[in-house]
Amino acid sequence: MIEFDDVSVTYRGGVKALRNVSLTIDDGEFVVVVGLSGAGKSTLLRAMNGLVPATSGSIKVNGTEVVGAKGSQLRQVRSQIGMIFQTFNLATRTTVMNNVLMGRLATVPTWRSTLGLWPAADKEAAFEALERVSIVDKAYVRASNLSGGQQQRVGIARALAQEPSVMLADEPVAALDPVTSHQVMGDLQRINRDLGITTLINLHFLDLARNYGKRLIGLREGELVFDGDIADVDDDTFREIYGRAITPDDLLAADAAGGHGNG
Amino acid sequence: MRLAGMAMADTDVADPTVSATVRPRKPRLRARTVLIAAGVIAFTVYSAQQSGWEWGSFITVWTNPLWQRFWPIDWEFVLDRNNVLDPLIETFQIAIVATVIGCLLAMPIGFMMSQLTAPNRPTFIIVRSIMNVVRAIPDLLLAVILVAAVSIGAFGGAIALTVFSTAVLVKLFSETIDGADPRPLEAALAAGGRHTAAVRAGVLPEVFPAYVAYSAYVFELNVRASVVIGLVGGGGIGRVIEAQRQFFRYDRILGILIVIFVIVMIIEQISDAIRRRVL
Repeated sequence: MIEFDDVSVTYRGGVKALRNVSLTIDDGEFVVVVGLSGAGKSTLLRAMNGLVPATSGSIKVNGTEVVGAKGSQLRQVRSQIGMIFQTFNLATRTTVMNNVLMGRLATVPTWRSTLGLWPAADKEAAFEALERVSIVDKAYVRASNLSGGQQQRVGIARALAQEPSVMLADEPVAALDPVTSHQVMGDLQRINRDLGITTLINLHFLDLARNYGKRLIGLREGELVFDGDIADVDDDTFREIYGRAITPDDLLAADAAGGHGNG
Repeated sequence: MRLAGMAMADTDVADPTVSATVRPRKPRLRARTVLIAAGVIAFTVYSAQQSGWEWGSFITVWTNPLWQRFWPIDWEFVLDRNNVLDPLIETFQIAIVATVIGCLLAMPIGFMMSQLTAPNRPTFIIVRSIMNVVRAIPDLLLAVILVAAVSIGAFGGAIALTVFSTAVLVKLFSETIDGADPRPLEAALAAGGRHTAAVRAGVLPEVFPAYVAYSAYVFELNVRASVVIGLVGGGGIGRVIEAQRQFFRYDRILGILIVIFVIVMIIEQISDAIRRRVL
């Protein structure tokens, strides 16, 4: 369970990225977060694993306080939370396997991981994670030699290798083409369903949010402006969250059809 | 990025084609640029006068009888392995030991001296200050001091060169780390890795090729530097050159220089090949 209680994040320079956000996410939920860029979606996710420190309030993940956590306590929380990034964030010059093993860093002694002497059990966990996203054949390929969609699947495998209870995905398909986007979203949905991992996804495209989400959270200028079932959401809701009319740019389908060009 | 650009095209933006048809005039040279150039020239001329620069010397220097001593080359001396080959091997041994130890030391120090990977701010500041001081010492001076402090001969030279290699490589390597992609590191930290483990997993793979390339370059520098360090008592071929110079046996020195030249060329080729392969 994830509990946000009156959480605010102010960046150095005074930008308020989150304003007094309170929300609760139950185990196994599949939540989509939408909002304009700069609305605080990324900050919301990063506050959860302490990559961005919350300025005030309380964030509890499975009962452990994240705000102010340091050292081994912070690492312990982080190890329970897998994270998937918009730009994949792979070490591109090493193998897929080495990238997925990054997900085991919290449990393996530093001297072992530094020398590359990974215990067999951790390698097994990495292989299983790769199998789950159907890319195990690429285990010893250099990450830079994979396509964008394959790289994102490695990113998912890295998060899965943590055997996490929570999965955060920050715009996981923004750098991918429409077909691959659907594959990756499908992977995330399946993982949520099969493994019961609580999943939070920041999305840019509203139709993807509708297709895959169950619960929708809307952020606007750092404030929580919508939290409810996606079935109850219509275009008016999106208009309210975005503070403007919906354009074809907000839809992946329009993107796929070449709905916007320069002319 | 792309989406942001598209959104702009949809909204009302002044038509760029109107102003784009007017050819701009070539911008005039700015007064400041001219002033700086004039300043550089004036300072150079002044410095040349102060240092007694004379163009005529470029011709008169060749009339010095010293040059006659360079010829004919004493090949008999040069090709005797005791005279040149053995000391040259010692020079290489100094360069290899200095390079390997220097590069091993430079790896952790380099990570500590980059803002991206330093474990904390105090470590970063302390390590950077120490390395700045070390680099500020001229390497030849360092060699003179260390050779005197440790021992005349190969060991003193090797220590001086090790310090020199570490300093050079740390500088090059830490700047590469500064420019490395921070995102894999973020991913490794998000997975709950300790700082050291996360740097190893997320940053090292990205900067390792540059590290190997710089190490090859440092070896190249060390082969040349170990000759010079021999001149001040650091052992190797430099000591032979210094001894022959004292007897004015420039015919032998020229022979030795030709041998060194050929070998340095070969090493440069190998080092270039390594760098091309890994970068």
